[in-house]
Amino acid sequence: MALSERPPFSNSFRTSAFRLAIAYCVLFTVSVSALLGTIYLITGSVLANEVDNVILIELDQLADEYDREGQNGIIAELTRLREAWGRAGAIYLLVDPTFAKRAGNLSSWPFSGVPKERWLEFDIEALRDGRVVNDPVRARVIEFPDGYRLLVGTEVSERRQFQERFRAATLWAIGLTALLGALMGLWLSRRLMGRVRAISTACQQIVAGDFARRLPVGGSRDEFDALAVAVNHVLTRLDQQTATVRATFDSAAHDLRGPLFRLRGRLEELQGSVGLGTEARSSIDRALKDIDSVQRTLGTLLQIAQAESGAALAESARLDLGELAQEITELYEPAARAQGLHLQCSVENAWVNGHRQLLTQLLANLIENAVNHAGARALIQVTVRASAVGACLQVADNGPGIPVADRERALRPFVRLSRASSTGSGLGLSLVAAIARLHQARLSLEDNAPGLCVVVQFQAARPENTPQDHAVPAAPAPRADAVA
Amino acid sequence: MRLLLIEDDPEAARFVLKGLREGGYTVEHAADGRDGLFRATEGKYDAIITDRMLPHMDGLAIVQLLRQQGCETPVLVLSALGNVDDRVRGLRAGGDDYLTKPFAFVELLARVEALLRRKAGQQATTALKVGDLELDLLGRRARRAGREIELTSKEFTLLEFLVRRAGQVVTRTMLLEGVWDLQFDPQTNLIDVHISRLRQAVDRGFDRILIHTVRGAGYVVRDDGP
Repeated sequence: MALSERPPFSNSFRTSAFRLAIAYCVLFTVSVSALLGTIYLITGSVLANEVDNVILIELDQLADEYDREGQNGIIAELTRLREAWGRAGAIYLLVDPTFAKRAGNLSSWPFSGVPKERWLEFDIEALRDGRVVNDPVRARVIEFPDGYRLLVGTEVSERRQFQERFRAATLWAIGLTALLGALMGLWLSRRLMGRVRAISTACQQIVAGDFARRLPVGGSRDEFDALAVAVNHVLTRLDQQTATVRATFDSAAHDLRGPLFRLRGRLEELQGSVGLGTEARSSIDRALKDIDSVQRTLGTLLQIAQAESGAALAESARLDLGELAQEITELYEPAARAQGLHLQCSVENAWVNGHRQLLTQLLANLIENAVNHAGARALIQVTVRASAVGACLQVADNGPGIPVADRERALRPFVRLSRASSTGSGLGLSLVAAIARLHQARLSLEDNAPGLCVVVQFQAARPENTPQDHAVPAAPAPRADAVA
Repeated sequence: MRLLLIEDDPEAARFVLKGLREGGYTVEHAADGRDGLFRATEGKYDAIITDRMLPHMDGLAIVQLLRQQGCETPVLVLSALGNVDDRVRGLRAGGDDYLTKPFAFVELLARVEALLRRKAGQQATTALKVGDLELDLLGRRARRAGREIELTSKEFTLLEFLVRRAGQVVTRTMLLEGVWDLQFDPQTNLIDVHISRLRQAVDRGFDRILIHTVRGAGYVVRDDGP
């Protein structure tokens, strides 16, 4: 009835599956970052403490040496240590109060004056693989009572390298986690979307008239399969009911038309017999007219049933609503003019998918309705406009119109509004409503100020290359009429 | 002209048989689908009229079988099933025309006549002539007594449809189907107004009228001679 919406997942970034995947990806990445970050910080501080402790212990030992043996003792000890290279990366320097070197493996005092910080960090130049490189050093200084200063430090380039590698590894790990999470999310959402799209496509085809189609069941027995099985069950039930209704209507039509046909035959036979009075003849004429009217009502009811069952969509094809409206208007124009009405038509090409005969009936009913009810000298305008959303058909008159309160009622079967009491079966507009519903078009009765404006908004036709299993020629003209 | 009627309803069959015989046709009757198919295959008929819902065999199945056997006899399908798609199905199965019950008998007669005539002459033509009315089908122009007649495109199609069936009764429903491609039953007599406009163009100012009304049936284009 209302215009159906565009497929809801034209953009894969809007699916809830994708959003969920992104949320999981972010959560996972944050957790991994927190974990690796903590390990990084703890490892860093443990390594730093280890270096510091070694320096402090050695500083203590050397201070003791100084206390016991004096300057010469410590110089000897430093020389011994320098020769022995006991500890990897150890740095020593003993300077006198003028910062001149007295002992140690560092060439000169690396600071100008006495630094304020307790822990000092500076670079030294060293030869490695024939190249001069700057190595970072962490060190501590104590001052002896005689103004001499002792610096003990450790070359920490390995620690730095380790930390840098660890940081790089951590960042890589976080990045990979995010990437993997995103890929997983994309794959998961693609998969979910595929399932949902398959179901949605099947549903659209069913609505479009392919009632034998069922939702795909993957066989993995997941929640989608459970849903598909349940929906298929409902569809089968509906299908059976539709088939029953259809069979009922077919046999009802057959059982009503048979007797009507015999009745008509007898009356026509009677009409042909000689010796009938004028009165009898006009009685027969009226009876035949009544049969015509019963037949017409029956036909309309069957058409409503046909439109409501949706089966007619199997015969639908791509057609130009504008051209059809023009043709029907031209068919009615001379008769309308003979009644003193003005019937005008303004159309443009507007392609829709539709059942040609039922759309013809829709147009004819709307025009007949306007011709019968708009009153003498009325102006009736038939308009078809194409737009991006589809084709819009309007049949407007400047007659008395339908009060707002009655508009919905006017679409129900066998409802005759007061102005419509004289002619018609009361089925015309409900047939229009049923045909509009069949085509998923929106029907509305609007105020033409004055008069009635019936608006039918159709969806645009599918592209021409869409496969049409049951497409029939738009004009099923009987072969008898095709040649002389 | 020999016709075969396949119809199971005895009352309807009696009425149709009587009407067709009064119309000058020789008609044989089969009361069920099997008998109907047998006769249609064995006998020589100029046209077959068959009901759709028959005992033993569906009318459309008969048509399909006949067409499969290469039988080209024109078939008119009668049906009490009357939604528009049933009609399409009937024509697709190989029927040449389709008529929904109940119908006026003149409608049946006119359609049978059309079927028989169709079989008679199928040659392609570029010009048609009735009396002093000439139709140029390629240029889509009409002249009467050498004088050009102003016609709209639809009016020309309507006139062509009638002239192609000159001497033959054409009903309003046949015109709706053939000229407008419509299978519906308008409440008002739309066709009459179109015909009267066509008459204004074709017959006005001439002693001999070509477009005649057949009361209770439809129209016929005919030159009655001087």
